[in-house]
Amino acid sequence: MGALVLRRFGALLAVLFGLACIVFVLQTVIPSDPARAMVGANASQEAVEAKKAELGYDDPLPQQFTQYLQRLAQGDLQSSLRTRNEVTADLREFAPATFELAFSAFVLAVAMGLGLGLLLAGGGRAGRIIRIFLIGGASVPAFLTGLLLILVFYSWLGILPASGRVGDNFIVPDGPTNLLVVDSIIGGTPDLTLDALKHLILPALTLALLPALAIARTLSTSLTQVEREDYVRTARSKGLTERTVLLKHALRNASGPALTMSGLQVGLMLGGVVVVERIFAWPGIGLYIDQSIAYSDFPAITGATLLLGTAYVLVNFFVDLTQAWADPRIRTV
Amino acid sequence: MTGTGPVLDVQDLHVTFASSGGDVHAVRGASLQIAPGEVVGLVGESGSGKSVLGLTALGLLPRKPEPRLEGVVLLDGLDMITATDEDMRARRGTDISAVFQDPMGSLNPSMRIGAQVAEAAGGATDEEVAEMLAATGIPEPEHKARAYPHELSGGLRQRVMIAMALSRHPKLIIADEPTTALDVTVQAKVLDLLAAASRERGVALLLVTHDLGVAARICDRIAVAYAGRIVEEGTAAQLLQQPHHPYTVGLLASRPRLDGSIAGGDLPTLPGRPPDPRLPLAGCAFAPRCPAADAQCAGPLAIHVNGERRNECHHPGVLTRWPEGGPHAGRRDPILLKAPNPVVAPAMVRGVPPEPAVVVRGAVREFERPKPFPFAKRPAPFTAVAGVDLEVPHAGSVAIVGESGSGKSTLLRMIVGLLEPTAGDVTLGPGAPPQMIFQDAGASLTPWMPIGKQIEERLAALDVPSSERGARVAATLEAVGLPAEAQTAVPRALSGGQRQRAAIARAIAVPPALLACDEPVSALDVSLAAQVLNLLCHLRETLDIALLFVTHDLAAARAVADEVVVMQRGEIVERAATEDLFTDPQHPYTRELLAAVPEIHAMAVPA
Repeated sequence: MGALVLRRFGALLAVLFGLACIVFVLQTVIPSDPARAMVGANASQEAVEAKKAELGYDDPLPQQFTQYLQRLAQGDLQSSLRTRNEVTADLREFAPATFELAFSAFVLAVAMGLGLGLLLAGGGRAGRIIRIFLIGGASVPAFLTGLLLILVFYSWLGILPASGRVGDNFIVPDGPTNLLVVDSIIGGTPDLTLDALKHLILPALTLALLPALAIARTLSTSLTQVEREDYVRTARSKGLTERTVLLKHALRNASGPALTMSGLQVGLMLGGVVVVERIFAWPGIGLYIDQSIAYSDFPAITGATLLLGTAYVLVNFFVDLTQAWADPRIRTV
Repeated sequence: MTGTGPVLDVQDLHVTFASSGGDVHAVRGASLQIAPGEVVGLVGESGSGKSVLGLTALGLLPRKPEPRLEGVVLLDGLDMITATDEDMRARRGTDISAVFQDPMGSLNPSMRIGAQVAEAAGGATDEEVAEMLAATGIPEPEHKARAYPHELSGGLRQRVMIAMALSRHPKLIIADEPTTALDVTVQAKVLDLLAAASRERGVALLLVTHDLGVAARICDRIAVAYAGRIVEEGTAAQLLQQPHHPYTVGLLASRPRLDGSIAGGDLPTLPGRPPDPRLPLAGCAFAPRCPAADAQCAGPLAIHVNGERRNECHHPGVLTRWPEGGPHAGRRDPILLKAPNPVVAPAMVRGVPPEPAVVVRGAVREFERPKPFPFAKRPAPFTAVAGVDLEVPHAGSVAIVGESGSGKSTLLRMIVGLLEPTAGDVTLGPGAPPQMIFQDAGASLTPWMPIGKQIEERLAALDVPSSERGARVAATLEAVGLPAEAQTAVPRALSGGQRQRAAIARAIAVPPALLACDEPVSALDVSLAAQVLNLLCHLRETLDIALLFVTHDLAAARAVADEVVVMQRGEIVERAATEDLFTDPQHPYTRELLAAVPEIHAMAVPA
């Protein structure tokens, strides 16, 4: 297992390097003029040239690339053209909100996928009804789900808030984690915790719904296959209850494809975050990217892309390890 | 009613599965009793209903398609047909347990061995688990308890299954083909272990098998199943020495044997096929295939009971010896298939002594092992084949025998070009490139493509003009004994034996100089296996195809090969003409292999 962790970690570093390269290429290829953007539209051509030289855009590409890598290694993502702040500082401000949302959505997606998958594989009437619901649900895009949820739970029922991370009447604590739910628990303010959770529900559900359906379908398919395996028959021949057979013998062996699917869905969720944060006015990276695009704020866009990409690669690193835990046969490969 | 009554009492059991093509009658009125502590063999071919009977007793029939059950199956007093799921579940493990065929698949791959045994025992300490493992002859039981199934050999895994089956001292163990998937030397040991363990503990055992030899080795009593009924039943000695039912006689005769009584000739085969399980039966189900059948046999069944013996034949004991040959004996006339193909054996045309089909010199094959961690030194490679010389003469027949891990399949794969040798040379003779037949014919055929198309594909690949292909496909199907309808059938629509014939048809559509067969009959029933072996021999004669035959089944090797090569740990330890090897084995390993084959001794058939 230790060797496997090492190998996978090596692969992780390689993927991150590849990601950095791609971002650099995009940065150089895309026709935008950050120097012009920085000095302003009315500045003279000399001022633009001077800024270019200062930023190193006149250097030969290989030199630019090494400098870019050096800066990355030091955690320097340059300054945002729009906010004039260091991109790292901006990200530090916006990332926790996104992380809180994405993590909640991921947990929700896995939990719902697991439950629905088990029900589906169980067959019977419940399974058939859920199957219809799944196929219907899977064809509804996230922005529509979000709007529907707002309509039902905010406009009609009025039981859940539909924008922001927290109500106006609360004071947002300053740290230590900038994860509102965690900070409020640490700070001992249960009212704030509850309010933060309420704000989380709709956006997290919107983000989680499609991934949950994908996970459920994958899980139910592999569960149905595992049900036919000889070792499940062996488990029954031991006189185990159906519940034990399902949870102890079938589920773990069926989890591989569902775990792979969960990892892939994280990618979709990180992409979906941009849309969902906009719908729910969630002050996270999605909103930050959304605003940066309008300004051609390249340092901001690439910085956020690098962060999301790293998150995706990290999550899949852990998915790989979970798979190896679930199936000892993978460990020796 | 515990105590003196039978531990399992099956009376007039019918099991029917609903299917889109009509009801499938898997069991049609079978009755069988097993006394406490008795070891009973239930022998039959696939489709005879033997496994369904075992699963019914366990209450573990598949739920889809939904089975319909009639009759009585009393497990120590509880009727497993009317009992609730919960009642049946409560009996499993404690009263009845099971050992299944495939030790590879029967253990949970993600659970440690010890945990699985403890679970079967309904909770056990590490020491108790180790004791149970040790009792089934597993070395280093404490260590093995921490292993995962894939880290153990097939034989050890099957011992684990047995340890689990014994763990709660059940009254009955159902062992369904427990040794079929194992190597022959391991087979014997596992069988003996199963018999000894059940005798010592007074556990009754129902051994479900297709192999009379396996049943003969350990059983007190044998029941022969055919088309869902028990057609004959008696003590092992009675049944083997004086079979009353013609089907039993046929089963005994079609077993390839080591003592060479069929030397040179065909293996006797049973003509025809078992009846379609979807059709109702009138009279004796075996009558259409029976040499002794007459008008009476179509009437109501005759059931004879005499003490321990029982049979369902109108003319019990009339047939003492299966008639020579089978329907295939009449098919020895050459089939015209090779004529229009000039690539076959040009040497023959020129009258020069033909070159060997393949010559192997110093073949070595190593497999790299993965590094334990990145930047580690790569461990020494695993040597599967360690320098082997082999020659298969033109139209000759060589069998390679050995256990799994002996390197025999790796050698075969190098010869047909599926693997590159690490060192050494493989020189193929002239003619069409070699073809291969695999153990699992079903998996080697493309599932969605009709058989005719698959054969045509092969013809196209070797540039047979498209105008000739139709006729060649028809001729090839005939040559392998498949009906013309098989041309449009997809593999799923064929039986196991037919699928293997289809795979052979594809391989010989353009006759190769060498046909490499990897365990071609080990997945088939005895009588089907005999037919396929005969077919291979005929094809060799009529098409001048050399056969290279990899098998762990020594009897099959004897039936087809001129020369036998014995492999162990990647090396050839003995090679000899077939007769010499079987009558006068030189190497101790060969003797061990021969001794382990389950044989039916004392086959004194009264005239």
